Parts: sequence; structure tokens; C-alpha cells
Amino acid sequence: MAQPFRMPVVDSVPKVADEVAVGEDLKFQRKWWMFERVIWSFFVLVLLCDLLGVFGRGWLAKAKRSTPDQALTLDYERVERSGSPSVMTLRFGPAAAHNGHIQVFVGNEVIRGLGARRISPEPATSALTDGGITYTFDSGSTPTIAEIALQPMFPGKHKIRIQVPGSEPIETSVLVLP
Amino acid sequence: MAFFIIARAAFGYLFLVLIVRIVGRRPGKQLTPFEFVLIFYLGGLTLTGMVGEEVSLTNAITQIITVALCHYLLSFLRFKSERMARILDGVPLVLMEKNSWRHETLVRMRIQDDDVMHTARQQGIKDLSGIKTAVLESYGEITIIPKKEK
Repeated sequence: MAQPFRMPVVDSVPKVADEVAVGEDLKFQRKWWMFERVIWSFFVLVLLCDLLGVFGRGWLAKAKRSTPDQALTLDYERVERSGSPSVMTLRFGPAAAHNGHIQVFVGNEVIRGLGARRISPEPATSALTDGGITYTFDSGSTPTIAEIALQPMFPGKHKIRIQVPGSEPIETSVLVLP
Repeated sequence: MAFFIIARAAFGYLFLVLIVRIVGRRPGKQLTPFEFVLIFYLGGLTLTGMVGEEVSLTNAITQIITVALCHYLLSFLRFKSERMARILDGVPLVLMEKNSWRHETLVRMRIQDDDVMHTARQQGIKDLSGIKTAVLESYGEITIIPKKEK
């Protein structure tokens, strides 16, 4: 018959005052207390950064880019959060209007990478073009401002491109946090 | 992406383990209302980030398996390494011995003499002079070793 596995009992737990086996390790505990202090400081720092907008949704995250002729000014957030809705604002200047229409090309990275849900006001036409979508707004309802509702789903850095025909493109990047 | 679903579950679990560990232990056998709110609120908030809008059964199953695997791995590491056990569980701390308080431990663990006396009373000890040693266990309970009656 097989013998059950046995090990001798060894009094390995350190004792307090040579009487009570407690297993206290103050050296380790002091290191842990120090670690806790560092972690709490780090957490406070994270919250401060969050309030300032380092992780999006705040002052530091807001950005503005314009074309040299002021045909297009883009208000956006440098840092977005995955799954969180936000708005990218396109402001059109007089140089954006041609023959009573305003056209704007929005690159695929805005559509897919930043999860563009809708553009308002409703454009008269939208056409698939190479690398993105070109929206056309009628002169009768010429918007000076168009807003693109975003809800990015893919974390990472996304290089975006938005252009009004006849002007230089605005190329920038947006970081999407998980 | 499937990877992010698994990564979110693993991160959520490990982050909660860290938070609960550093929030600290409070003496007592049961959760106080204070801790009850903390645990459930943290759990709810973590769930929001882990699940998000993706509520499929497949996601739930993979995330449950991920959390179970993380738990198993931590338990395995805890069993294999004494250092890991100390990091995950903490160590027992002496609060009182030889008629004197360990002041540093009391302050850092945010424990008052009332907390020690509360446990002592449950053992029929009338005052602090009847305590030989008081220990804050790694699971948060205070153990009292009474002085032998002469």
C-alpha cells in the first residue's frame, strides 16, 4: 500500500519576543509603505494630468489648425478616448466657397480611425474619392461651421487629413487612448 | 479586436488587485458599509471599461476565462514565491507587545487602540492591560493573545 506523502513540521514562522509565531517582516512592510506612498503620489499626478487634458477631454487636448488662406480651420482634440464621443469642428472661411459651393475632403482615417458617425449640417452630396469622402455643401445653406461627430474605437495614433479643394490640406495626428 | 477584449479583462483584474491591496486593510471580520461601497463601486466602474458596448456572450466568456486565468496565475505565483505572497497578501503586523504599542504600525495602518480593544472585548478581555500581543493579520483581522492569569 502506498504511503501518504508526508513532510515534517518545521517551525519556520518567525516569532515575536521568542513566544508567538507571527511571521512579521517589518523590513518588507516599510518598503511596501514606501511603495504605497509612491503609488498614491502617482495616482494624484494621473488625476491632475486628466484634469488638464493630457488624456483628452481637457484644456491641453484641444487643438486648432488652419490653412494659410484661412479657408479651413479645424478644431479637434489631440487625444481622444476609445469609445467616447467627441466633436471635430470645421470652420470655413470665404476662400472655401467656389461657385456657390463649399467642398471638403475628409480622409479615411477620420472616417474609420476616429469613428466619424455623422456630419452636420447634412451635406448636399457626399462622394467617395481616393482615400476618403468629399462632402459638398450648397451655397443656399452654406455652413460656416460643420461638425463631425466622432466615436473612435481603435486605440493608437491616427494621421488625419482634411482639405478644402484649392487650399493646402490640414494634416495632423490624433492619439486614441484605450 | 479580440486582443483588446482579453487585455482589458486582464488589466481590469490586475488593476483592481493593486487598488484593493494599496487601499489597505481595516480591522474586522466583516465588510463595513464603507468598504462595501468601495468594493461594489470599484467593481462596477471596472466593468464599464472592460465590457463597454460589446455585450456579446463570446466576449463575456473570453473575459471570464481571462480573469480566471489571471487569478490562477497569481495564486500559483503566490504559492511558489514567498516574496510574491507578501506582495499580494501583505504580512502580519504586531500592533502591541510587551505592554507597548507599535506606534509606527498603528499610524501607517490607520488603526486606533479602540480597534484593538474592540477585538479584545470579544475575547472577554476587560482592558488593554490584559493583552499580551495584538497582531493585525494579513487578511485584516486583529488577533489578540491574552496575558496568562497569575
